[in-house]
Amino acid sequence: MTEYFQSFGMSYEFAWFTATIAGILLIALPLMLAVAMIIYVDRKVLGAIMMRRGPNVVGPFGLLQSFADGLKVFLQETIIPSAANKGLFLLAPIITFTVALAAWAVIPFNSGAVLADINVGLLYVLAVSSLGVYGVVISGWASNSKYPFFSAMRAAAQMISYEVSIGFILVCVVLWANSFNLNDIIVAQKGHGLGFVNAFAFNPLLFPLFVMFLISAMAETARAPFDLTEAESELVAGYQTEYSSMSFALFWLGEYANILLMCALCAILFFGGWLPPVEWEPLYAIPGWIWLFGKMFVFFFIFSWTWGTVPRYRYDQLMRLGWKVFLPLSLLFVFLISGYLMLTRYAPL
Amino acid sequence: MIQTLAFYLFALLVIASGVFTITARNPVHSVLWLIMAFFNAAGLMVLVGAEFIAMLLVIVYVGAVAVLFLFVVMMLNIDFAEMRAGFIKNFPLGIAIALVLLAELVLGIGAYKAGALELGVADGSAAPMIGESNITSLGTLLYSKYIFLFEAAGIILLVAMIGAIVLTLEKSAADVRGQQDIGKQNRRRPEDATEMQNPEVGKGVEL
Amino acid sequence: MFDPLEYLPILIFMFIALGISVLFVFLPMGVSRLTGVHEPTTEKNSEYECGFPAFEDPRSPFDVRFYLVAISFILFDLEAAFLFPWAVSLEYTGWAGWTAMMVFLGILAIGLAYEWKMGALNWE
Repeated sequence: MTEYFQSFGMSYEFAWFTATIAGILLIALPLMLAVAMIIYVDRKVLGAIMMRRGPNVVGPFGLLQSFADGLKVFLQETIIPSAANKGLFLLAPIITFTVALAAWAVIPFNSGAVLADINVGLLYVLAVSSLGVYGVVISGWASNSKYPFFSAMRAAAQMISYEVSIGFILVCVVLWANSFNLNDIIVAQKGHGLGFVNAFAFNPLLFPLFVMFLISAMAETARAPFDLTEAESELVAGYQTEYSSMSFALFWLGEYANILLMCALCAILFFGGWLPPVEWEPLYAIPGWIWLFGKMFVFFFIFSWTWGTVPRYRYDQLMRLGWKVFLPLSLLFVFLISGYLMLTRYAPL
Repeated sequence: MIQTLAFYLFALLVIASGVFTITARNPVHSVLWLIMAFFNAAGLMVLVGAEFIAMLLVIVYVGAVAVLFLFVVMMLNIDFAEMRAGFIKNFPLGIAIALVLLAELVLGIGAYKAGALELGVADGSAAPMIGESNITSLGTLLYSKYIFLFEAAGIILLVAMIGAIVLTLEKSAADVRGQQDIGKQNRRRPEDATEMQNPEVGKGVEL
Repeated sequence: MFDPLEYLPILIFMFIALGISVLFVFLPMGVSRLTGVHEPTTEKNSEYECGFPAFEDPRSPFDVRFYLVAISFILFDLEAAFLFPWAVSLEYTGWAGWTAMMVFLGILAIGLAYEWKMGALNWE
C-alpha cells in the first residue's frame, strides 16, 4: 500500500505512515462493524434454536438492531457508583476494548495482507490475549461491589487455567509448522491433508488438539457453557453489574471481538486461514479474506450453537476440565507430535 | 530517529511507572503501575531486537506473575493501620536494605563508563544467527550447550510447585469433602435411577 | 532478519485502539451532559450489587485455592515458555534436544502428578 500512496508524490516515510494508518483503520472499523453484525447473528441463531424470531424490527430483517442498541446505549447516562474507585472503574472497559482490538494487528487476511508481519506473531496474540484478564479483574475490583468482585475472581482463575492448555496446543501447531509467523503457519498447511486439503485439522494427530482449542477458546472468552463469570442466577450480571452506558457496551464489544479473534485463530491454526479449503486452482480466484471470513463465520456459528444447546458447567467441572483433562492431554500430544516429527522429518532413526 | 524516540518514550514510561509503583498509596494501584513498567520494558526489548524475550516478558510477567500479585493485594484486604504500626518496628531493617540497594545503585551508575563486560569470552554479539529468527538461535543454544542449566530450571520449577502446595494446602488429601466422581456421574444412565411403574387405580406403588 | 520497524504498526495500532476506547468511554459522558440525561442522585450512585442495599464489606478474603491456581499457572506458563524456542529449533538440536525436553516434561509431569495426588486441582 505504501507504493500506492507514494504515487501521489508523498515521501517514502509519509507514504508509509499514511499506509499504516489506513491499514489500521481498514482493520479496526470493519472489525467494529463485524462485531455489531455478529451480535445480531448470535441473537438470530439463538432465536432460531429457541424457535422464536430474534431481532426483526429495526431495519430489514432486524439487521440494524445492534446499531439501534448502540445509539441507545450511547445516549444513556454514565453512572459511576460513589463507592467505586473512579479512575480504575473507567479504565477497565478501556483496557478490555484496547486489548481486544490490538490483537488483530498480526492476523493475516490474505497472502501478505497483514499489518505487522512479525516473526513471533503467534506469541504476540498469546501475550495480548493474556492481558484481557486485567479488564475483567479491574472492573470487578473497582466496582467495590460484592458480586462483580466474585465474578472477576472467577473469570481470572478460569482464564488463566485455560491459557495453560492453549499454550501447549499452540506449541503443537508450531512444532508442525516450524514457525511462529502466522502467515508461515497458514502456508505450511497447503495440501496438508491427503495432498489436497488445506488444513491441519485433517491430521489425525492435530485434530484432537483442534477440538481442545475450540473448547478452550470458549472457556477463555467465557462463552456459554463456560459463562460462569456472568452466571445471572448467582452473580446478577457478573463483573459488568455496576456499569452503564457505553462503558457497559465496551465490555460486550470487547468480548465479541475476542470471540471473533478466537474464531480467526481456529481458522488460521487448523483450517488454513486465507487458503481455500482444498487445493483446486479455480478456488484461488476468490480473494483470501473471503475464505478467512467464511471459516470464521462457521466457527462463530458453532459458538452460537453451543450457547443455545449446552447447559452451563459448574465451577468445579470447569476447573477439572482445564487442569485434569486438557492439561495432561495437551502435554501428551506435545510428546507424541514432537516424537513423530523427529522420526519422520528431522532425524529418522 | 523513530527508534530513538520510541526508546525515550518507553524508557521514560518505565521510570515513571516505577516511581508511581513505589509512591502509590493503594497497593492495587502499585501493581497496575508495575504492569505498566513490565509492558514498557517489553517495548525496550523489542527495540534491542529481542522480540522473543519481549513477548515472554508480557506472557510470563504481565500475564502470569502480575495476576498473582493482583490476586494477593486484592484479596488479602491489607489493613493499613496495622501496617503503619509495624513500620517503626521494622524501620532499622528497612533502612539497612535501602542502604544496600543504594550502594548497588551508586556502584552501578559509577560503572557507566567502564566499557563492555569482559568475562574472558566473546560477548556473543557477533555469534552467527542460526535459522531465520532469534527464537531458533536461542533454542539451538539452550537445548544443546546449556542443556544441564535447562534441566536445573526444570527441577527448580518442580520445587516451586511442591513448595506452593506445601505452603497453601493445609488440608490433608484425605479431606475431600463433597468431591464428586465425574466418571461415575457420566456413567449413570436413566435406567439406573428411574423405573417405570404402571399402578392400578387404588393399589398404589410398592416402594 | 529482524527489523524493529516491523513493530511500529503495532505501536501505532495500540495508540489508535486506546484512542478509540477512550473516546467511547468519555464521549457519551459529555453527550449525556449536553442532552440533560446526566442527573446523578445519591440513590442512583449507590452500588447496585443485587438490588438490595449492601450490608457487608464487598472485599472479603478469598479461598486459598485461587492463589494456588495462580501459582500453578505461573509454573506451567514458564514450562510453555521453555517449549516455544524448543519447538522451532528441533532441526538443529536433534535427538539430544528432544530428549532433554522430554526429561524436563517428565520432571514437571511428576509435579503435576503430585498436585493431583495432593488434591490441589480439586474444587469443592
